[in-house]
Amino acid sequence: MDNTIVISTLSMAGLGLFFATLLAFANQKLKVEEDPFIEKILHELPGINCGACGFTSCRQYAEALAKKEAASDKCKASQEEQRADLARLLGVSLKTKVKEAAVVHCGADNSIRKTKALYTGVETCLAAHNTFGGELLCDYGCLGYGDCVQACPFGGITIVKGLPKIDRDKCTACAKCVVACPRKIISIMKVEDTQVLYVACSSQDKGALTRKTCSVGCIACGICEKLTGSAFSVKNNLSSVNEERMSGIKNKEEVLKKCPTKCILKI
Amino acid sequence: MATLIIIFISAAITHNFVLTYFLGICPFIGVSKRLEQALGMGLATTFVMTLAACTTWVVYHFVLLKFGLPFLQYVAFILIIASLVQIVEMFIRKTSPVLYRALGIYLPLITTNCAILGLALFMVMREYTFLEAFIFGLGAGCGFTLALLIMAGIREQLEYSNIPKALQGAGMTLIIAGLLALAFMGFGGIVSD
Repeated sequence: MDNTIVISTLSMAGLGLFFATLLAFANQKLKVEEDPFIEKILHELPGINCGACGFTSCRQYAEALAKKEAASDKCKASQEEQRADLARLLGVSLKTKVKEAAVVHCGADNSIRKTKALYTGVETCLAAHNTFGGELLCDYGCLGYGDCVQACPFGGITIVKGLPKIDRDKCTACAKCVVACPRKIISIMKVEDTQVLYVACSSQDKGALTRKTCSVGCIACGICEKLTGSAFSVKNNLSSVNEERMSGIKNKEEVLKKCPTKCILKI
Repeated sequence: MATLIIIFISAAITHNFVLTYFLGICPFIGVSKRLEQALGMGLATTFVMTLAACTTWVVYHFVLLKFGLPFLQYVAFILIIASLVQIVEMFIRKTSPVLYRALGIYLPLITTNCAILGLALFMVMREYTFLEAFIFGLGAGCGFTLALLIMAGIREQLEYSNIPKALQGAGMTLIIAGLLALAFMGFGGIVSD
């Protein structure tokens, strides 16, 4: 019996050693010369493979950069210091980054939410959304199970009172949460300006219905549109802000105050 | 000679690994979108299968049986297959970076392709000689390539057709795989095991 153990150990070790040698030899023979520049570029990228640049991984982006096939300002996740290093490495001038962040277009937290049924299924937004829209009465609003929290590679989202709260310092606008949200209520906005307004509602129901469903829903009254000279526009029973014209809105406080359901919020 | 031909045809067509034994379904679904990719994957797998059949035969007969350790066959075979796949991966990376990128994750996944382990185990079970094992591996690989190519051809055509939304993607692919398997069952009576 003891003998079997010894023999099997030895023979497996021998086999392992044999193949390891073979592999080591093959590695020497079949080594692919890679541009060391790629490694250097990769070092200056965050390495979290968020995909915001349009490539599937940081490595692929680095390869494209090395071949000068991609613009050097695509990475949204890297910090200023890293961006400067990368620009220096590539020998291009640094373009200033407009700070962007994810914004949640729903303002109904747990205290406001109305329910239509009891949902006891799997506790993810996607599952709830696919099960007749979960327990939330509104077909458009945030379900609050936090699929976006799971998706965020930076830990920048927390659920506060049933609504995702986005930490704008941590958010790099990689848009993973935008994709993860089954109700598509998260979007990426430019948040450089401290006075950025956005519509915290995604309901495309008619105004009368929205009023019944939610107390902070957009009822498409069009007051914001009139006040700002069409910097806001109402489409499909939902108001949205034109980001290009944000700085042109002079009466931001008035817009905030006049919105009847207070669904326009300031970042 | 006749035995060898029968083994080849049996492994490639009548007892096709993918469509009769349902082994190696993962790359069958995963890499059958484009003909070129399917061909590349098929050839890589054929290569690994043939090599694996020979190597496992040698190791089984000259190491495991000799020391009376046939119970180690699973571990030994997986070790062999993993090493072979590593070598093939290095080789493809060296010779064709385009194919390397196109195959992506499925290339290292040949390691865990059950068709290859299945091949090695069948070979032991049926007590093939070395030459038979070689032909068996080659036939199984050709069969795998054939199945992959048929699937890729169909899926390329499928892009132009109007599929109901609920069946798009994986759903349709699995239905086609089922129909293909049915068609291959028709070969069943030609050669007996």
